[in-house]
Amino acid sequence: MKDAILNDDALKRIHELKETDILVGIPSFNNAATIGHVVRAVQAGLSKYFPDRRSVIVNSDGGSTDRTVEIVQKAAIDDFESILVTHGESVFKISTPYHGIPGKGSAFRTIFRMAEMLRAKACIVVDSDLRSITPEWVELLVKPVLKGDFDFVSPLYLRHKYDGTITNSIVYPLTRALYGKQVRQPIGGDFGFSGELASFYLAKDVWDTDVAKFGIDIWMTTTAIANGFRVCQSFLGAKIHDAKDPGADLSAMLNQVVGAAFDLMEEYPAVWKELTGSSPVPTFGFTYAVGLEPVSVNLPRMIERFRLGVKELSVIWSKFLPGDVMDYLLWTAELPESDFSFSDETWAGIIYSFALAAYTRAINREHLLKALTPLYIGRTAAFVKDTQESDAQQVEDKIEGLCRLFEDKKHFLCENWQV
Amino acid sequence: MNALNKIIFEPIAKSLDNILVFLPNIMTSLFIFILGLVISLAVKMVLEGVFKAIGLDRLSKKLGFQELMKKGGITDRLSLVLAKFTGGLLFLIFTLLSMRALEVNVLEKLSDKFLFYLPNIVIALLILLAGWLLGNFLGRTVLIAAVNAGIKFSRLAAAFVKYLIVMLAVTMALEHIGIGEKTVEIAFAALFSGVVFAFSLAFGLGGKDIARGFLERKLKEDRESEDDGISHL
Repeated sequence: MKDAILNDDALKRIHELKETDILVGIPSFNNAATIGHVVRAVQAGLSKYFPDRRSVIVNSDGGSTDRTVEIVQKAAIDDFESILVTHGESVFKISTPYHGIPGKGSAFRTIFRMAEMLRAKACIVVDSDLRSITPEWVELLVKPVLKGDFDFVSPLYLRHKYDGTITNSIVYPLTRALYGKQVRQPIGGDFGFSGELASFYLAKDVWDTDVAKFGIDIWMTTTAIANGFRVCQSFLGAKIHDAKDPGADLSAMLNQVVGAAFDLMEEYPAVWKELTGSSPVPTFGFTYAVGLEPVSVNLPRMIERFRLGVKELSVIWSKFLPGDVMDYLLWTAELPESDFSFSDETWAGIIYSFALAAYTRAINREHLLKALTPLYIGRTAAFVKDTQESDAQQVEDKIEGLCRLFEDKKHFLCENWQV
Repeated sequence: MNALNKIIFEPIAKSLDNILVFLPNIMTSLFIFILGLVISLAVKMVLEGVFKAIGLDRLSKKLGFQELMKKGGITDRLSLVLAKFTGGLLFLIFTLLSMRALEVNVLEKLSDKFLFYLPNIVIALLILLAGWLLGNFLGRTVLIAAVNAGIKFSRLAAAFVKYLIVMLAVTMALEHIGIGEKTVEIAFAALFSGVVFAFSLAFGLGGKDIARGFLERKLKEDRESEDDGISHL
């Protein structure tokens, strides 16, 4: 019988394997340089920590043309003794192309379907461009589900202070303020989840939206929290991935990630409107500090982009941003680089105003989300400037302060969110 | 007495006869006019309800039409605009029919011509409206994309796209109602070619050094700017 998501080869493999305890999903698209390492780390992790469990690695590929699929098939651990691993139950591998809108979300949909058909008890998904993945990641993402009775395991990484700025300035504060859980990396990309949650995801009708692309990570996290699944996070260490795609468009990323977060707000108003404050989630793993590669930032260029945005897009922003926010933006755009600043309070107000504008359809949705880019760049420039001399803990404290402001200002969102 | 009869009473009687002959036409014309008024108002109200019920306003808001209409100076909801337009059109047709019912040669010819032209005028107006809305929408798309790409003359690029589309719509509308068909076409082609030629001259000849410098800087900046050092996700 034909399946709407899986092709005949994948169905045949599922028929042969029948079921599995653990399923590891690796979405890929032209990741030949890194995917071999990821597959070997996963194989070692499964053999080392779950030798008596039946495991399947699913590579959901978007049509790579660079030997990615071939490398996945050939990747093997030649010397198990060298990594102190007992070669127990075999780890099976399936490479399959995904269908639908090209993107990570469509690849995940294929993985969820596989998990459902193989009746997997625990699943994890890991990015194929990871350079820092170790076998321990598998244990840390799987164990809370298999042994701890959790449904969703979010990653907790050590990242450079200028790494993951969309997470730090928008997604984490917004998700935490809305849904009341302090999940630090809601769009981390490497997650663990139960088979039950995989089936829950699969049943949702979102696969023709931004969820099918970059929006999948925030969607998975929010769906798990908002629907009462048990959520925790695991400390995985440093996250180092392949050099980012220079062609990746920042405004497209913002459009998809923030758009998905705004869509979820419309889906769960009954959940978030009632909540105030936030609480920590259980955290697993041994926390330690590592040295991270320094990052150089082109600050003058970022401030220039912000100023250009203020000059040209104010006419659009003024349709939905409060007058005092507009006055502040015009004022800060005039400041010399040495005094440049962007207050946390204004930033929280801007994000809430954009969420309300998306909800009321104040302007075309894509225009709205893409018009956020210069503001985000300005806010990021101010953050970089403010934290140039700060260490990791000081930066974390600053992000914590921003999160509290998001929580304090949530009443503005609730009061203006009219049905 | 005879003279008085000839000068005053006979013309009055004749006029009264004429009025009596013309009276049914006037009554018919008045009836058609009032009927038209009632029908157009009823159609406007029914259509407004139907458009609302099928969620046309929500759709127009979602697609950004509402906002584009606002920008074009139309503050009413799309459902009301369409209902008013259809009602108004019906009223116009009934008014023309009522004029025809008077059976006055000049008015008949005039209304015939107008009725014959009406579809073209309606289509031309729709072309203009669509052009205006599309021009605004694409103009803003270009503006935001250009700002996000860090292009300094973003507003100029946006205005160029917007007015190019509006001009194209005006050309098409005028052509549709048969005004200076070839002239408008040629004028548009000449204007468009002129703009392109001017740009070519500016960049190719007049400011070739500046253009080369600009392109070199731009390419260098683009290479550098692609990596602002930050991993956003």
